[in-house]
Amino acid sequence: MRIKPPLTPTLIVIVGLLTISPVLMLAVGSFSEGFGTFGNFTVDKYVEAYTDPELIAVLWNTLIFTLGSAAVATLLALFLSYTNTRTNIPFKFFFGIISIVPMMIPHILFAVSWVLLLNPSNGILNRVMMDLFGLDRAPFNIYSLPGMILVEGLLDLPIAYLIIAPAMSAFDVSLEESSKVCGASPLRTLTRVTLPVLRPAILASVILVIVRCLASFAVPSVIGMPGRIYVLATHIYRIISTGFAADYGKAAAVGMSALAASILLIYLYRYLTSESGKYVTISGRGFKPALIDLKNSKVPLLGVVGLLSFVLIVLPVLVLFYTSMLPYVMVPTAKAFSQMGWKNWTDVLRDPISVLALRNSLTLGLVGATLGVILSIFVSYVIVKVRTTASGILESLSFLSFSFPGIVIGVGFMWFFVRTPLYATVWALLIGYIATYLPYGIRPLSSAFVQIHSHLEESSRVCGANSFTTLRRIVIPLLVPGILAGWILMATMFVRELTLSVVLSRPGSEVLAVQILRFAEDGLWGRLSALGIIMIFLSSFLVIAASVLGRKLAKRDSLED
Amino acid sequence: MKKLAVLLLCVFLVPCAFASDPAKAKKEGKANFYANITAVEPIMEAFSAAKEVQGVYTRISTSKYLATVLTEHEAGKLEADVLQGPLPILQTLKEKGVLAAYRSPSAAGYPDWAREDDTIMQFGIEYVAPIYNKDLVKPGDVPRSYQDLTDPKWRDKIVMPDPSSHATTISWLVGLKEAKIFATDEEWMNFVKGLAANKPMFVKSFSPTPAPVESGEKLLAISMPKYIITHAPAPLGWARVGTLLGTPRGVAIAAKAPHPEAARVFMDYWLSKDAMKLLADKVGEYVLAPGVFPPIDGISEAKVLPIRELSDEEIRSWGEKFKTIFFAK
Repeated sequence: MRIKPPLTPTLIVIVGLLTISPVLMLAVGSFSEGFGTFGNFTVDKYVEAYTDPELIAVLWNTLIFTLGSAAVATLLALFLSYTNTRTNIPFKFFFGIISIVPMMIPHILFAVSWVLLLNPSNGILNRVMMDLFGLDRAPFNIYSLPGMILVEGLLDLPIAYLIIAPAMSAFDVSLEESSKVCGASPLRTLTRVTLPVLRPAILASVILVIVRCLASFAVPSVIGMPGRIYVLATHIYRIISTGFAADYGKAAAVGMSALAASILLIYLYRYLTSESGKYVTISGRGFKPALIDLKNSKVPLLGVVGLLSFVLIVLPVLVLFYTSMLPYVMVPTAKAFSQMGWKNWTDVLRDPISVLALRNSLTLGLVGATLGVILSIFVSYVIVKVRTTASGILESLSFLSFSFPGIVIGVGFMWFFVRTPLYATVWALLIGYIATYLPYGIRPLSSAFVQIHSHLEESSRVCGANSFTTLRRIVIPLLVPGILAGWILMATMFVRELTLSVVLSRPGSEVLAVQILRFAEDGLWGRLSALGIIMIFLSSFLVIAASVLGRKLAKRDSLED
Repeated sequence: MKKLAVLLLCVFLVPCAFASDPAKAKKEGKANFYANITAVEPIMEAFSAAKEVQGVYTRISTSKYLATVLTEHEAGKLEADVLQGPLPILQTLKEKGVLAAYRSPSAAGYPDWAREDDTIMQFGIEYVAPIYNKDLVKPGDVPRSYQDLTDPKWRDKIVMPDPSSHATTISWLVGLKEAKIFATDEEWMNFVKGLAANKPMFVKSFSPTPAPVESGEKLLAISMPKYIITHAPAPLGWARVGTLLGTPRGVAIAAKAPHPEAARVFMDYWLSKDAMKLLADKVGEYVLAPGVFPPIDGISEAKVLPIRELSDEEIRSWGEKFKTIFFAK
C-alpha cells in the first residue's frame, strides 16, 4: 500500500484535536492562579508540587507499583497466550475468555473482592489458610505493595494478553525449528529466538501496563490507602480532596510527570524496536503458525492453567456473585447463607436509570470501539510502516490523554467540552472515550503490523491491485487478530469507563460506571456487585460476538484466497 | 414623594422576590438540582408528583463540585436551578456570583443560625459519630465517650477517613477542640494522639467506612449514623459518645437559573417538613426542620452541633498537622 502524502499530517491533526485539547487545558490550569482553567500566570503550583518532601517516597512507591504490575501482567500473559495459542491445551476458548475477564469488571469491585479474600483481619482465603495450617495470624496482607501489584497486575492482564496473544498466534514456528536444528536447547531457543521475535509485543504490553498503572486509582485507593501506601494517583487525590476548592491545576502539575514518563517510554519503545524488519514473521514465504503437541504434559499444564485461572480470576468473580446475593457485606457463615436472595438483582433491573445506563454503555461500547479501531488501523500503519519523525509525534500524541492520571484528565475534558456545543451530551462521552483510550486500539494493531512483511503488499501491487484492494484483501485479513484484540479492549473499556463519565455524564446520558459509582458511594455493595456481574455478561457477549465474527472473517478471506 | 414611591415599590417588590409561583413553575416544566448529597431519589420523585414539575437530580462529588459548577457558570452553561452542597462550597459560589437571594417561607421554623443570609439556607448537619458492629461488640464494650476510642483494645480495629486529606474529617477533629468537647486543648490533643496510636485503617471518605464494620474486618468506624438507615439490615449501631458534630449542609438557588420559578418551588419543597421527613426517614440525614429526626434509636435526644466552617488554608494546615500525628512511624 503506497502512502499518500497527506495521510500522516491528516492523522496528526485528527489525533491531536482529540487528545491535545484536554491536556492543553490542564497545562494552562497548572500555570494559572486560582483553581479554574484560566488565571494569572504562575509557576507556584509546580514549585509547591515538586518541592513537597513526600514526593520522593510517592515516586518510589509508584515506580515499584508500576514495574511490578507490568511484570505480573506481562509474565502471566506470556504464559497464558503461549499455552492458548501455541499448544494443544484443551478448553482454549474458555481460557481465552478468562484471561480477559478482569477487563470487564469495574476495577473498584475487583479490588474490593480481593480485600474480602485477603484482608488480614478476616479475609476468606486467609481464614482458610489459618484453619488448614493452624496458623495464629493471617499469612497474607492485601494492604501492601505486593498486594497492590498482584491486583493491578491481574486487572491489566487482559491488556497484556490481547497484545501478546495475536503476536504469538502469528509466530512462524520454523524460526524455532531452525534454532533446534542448529543444536540449540529449548531454553536457548526461547531466549535467543522466541522472546526476541516477540520483543515489540512484550515491550508494547509492558509500556501500556505501566502507563495504565500510572493513571490507575481504584487499586491505590481501595488497597493502597488502608495500607498507608501512597502512589502518584492517591497523592494527587490528596491534593484535590484537602479543602473544598479542589486545585486541579496543582494536580495537573503533578500529573505532568506521569505524562513525561509516558512520552519517554514511547520513545524508548521506538528505539528498542527501531529495526522493524527483525520482527517480521508473516512474509510471502511459508507463514506457518503450528501447534505444539503437549503429549504427557497436557494434563499437568491444564491443571496449572486451570488453578491459576480459578484462584486469580474466577474466585474474585465468585465473591462478587456471593456479595450480590447478600443484604450487606458478610463473610461466609451460616447466617450469611440464610440471608441470601435475589433482591439486589431485582432492584438493579427495575431501576430505570440502571437500564438507561446499560443501553447507553452498550451503544458507546459498540459504536465507540468500531470508530476507535478504524482510526487505530490508520494510525498504527503510519506508526509502524512510515517511521518518520512525524509518525513518532503521532504515536506520542495518541498517548497524551491516556497517560494523564484518570482523576485529572476528566476535568481537562470538561474544561474543553464546556466550550463546545457537545457538552453534557453522549457525543462528548464518545469522543472523550476514543481520544483517551486510542492506545488500546493502536498497540495491538501496531504489534500486528510489525509482523507483516512489506513483500506481501508489494506482491499485491505487482499483481495490479490498488492501495484500497491491497488493504482490504491482504493487510486487513492478516490484521484480524489485532483488530479483534483492539476492538475487545476498547469495547470492554468503554462499557466500564468511569474517569471521564463521572465528569461528563449528565441526566439522560448516564452510563454503567457512573451508576456503579453511585452504588459505591451509597455503600450498596450488593447492588454494585449485581450490576458488576451484569457488566461482565454484557462485555462477554461483546467479546464472544466479536470473536465469532473475527473467525468468520478470517475463514471467508482464506476461502476467497 | 419620590422617597415614598420608592418605599412603596420596595414594600411591594421584596415579598414578590421571595415567593414562588407554582403555576409558572409548572409551565417551566423542570427543576435541575445539583447536589453532593446521596440517595435523594425518593424526594425527587415526591417533588415531581406533588408539584407536577420534573425534579432532575445531578449528583456531583464534593471534590469535583466547585470545578464543575464554576466551569459551567463561567462558560454560561450552568444548568442548575438549585444547588446543594457543604456550606464552605456554597460560600465560594456566593462569592463568585453564582447564587441568588431567596428567602423561602418553608424555612420559617428553622433555627436562627441556619440562615446564613438571604442566599444560603442550611437544612442539615453531616453528623459524625463512631458506629460499630452490634454482633461483634458487646454492649458493655461500646465506647461511651470520645476518650474511650483511645483505649488500646481498639488497636487495629478502627476504620476512618484519612485525617490528613479528608476535609470533613479534618473539620470534625478541629471541631471537637473548638466546641470544647474536651476540658482542655491538651486533653483534646491526647485524644487525637490516642486515636492515632490505635492505628486506624484509612479510607478516602466516609462512604467506604461502614463496609469493613459490617463484614467484621473492623469493629468500629469514625463514620455517620445515617448508614444505620441506608445499610439496613446490617448490624450497625452508633456509640453515644456525647455531643455530636458535623459540617452544615446548605442549599441555594442559582442566580441564572434556567427555570427560576421552578427553582423557588423546588427550594420551598426541599425545605418543607414533608421533604425533610423523607430525608430523615429514607436517608438517615440529621435535618434542621423542627421536630424531624431520623428513625435511629437515641438520635432525637442527641446534641448535634454544626462545626465552624474552616477555610481551605486552615484545612490544609490542620491536615499537615494530623499527618505528622497519624502517619508517625
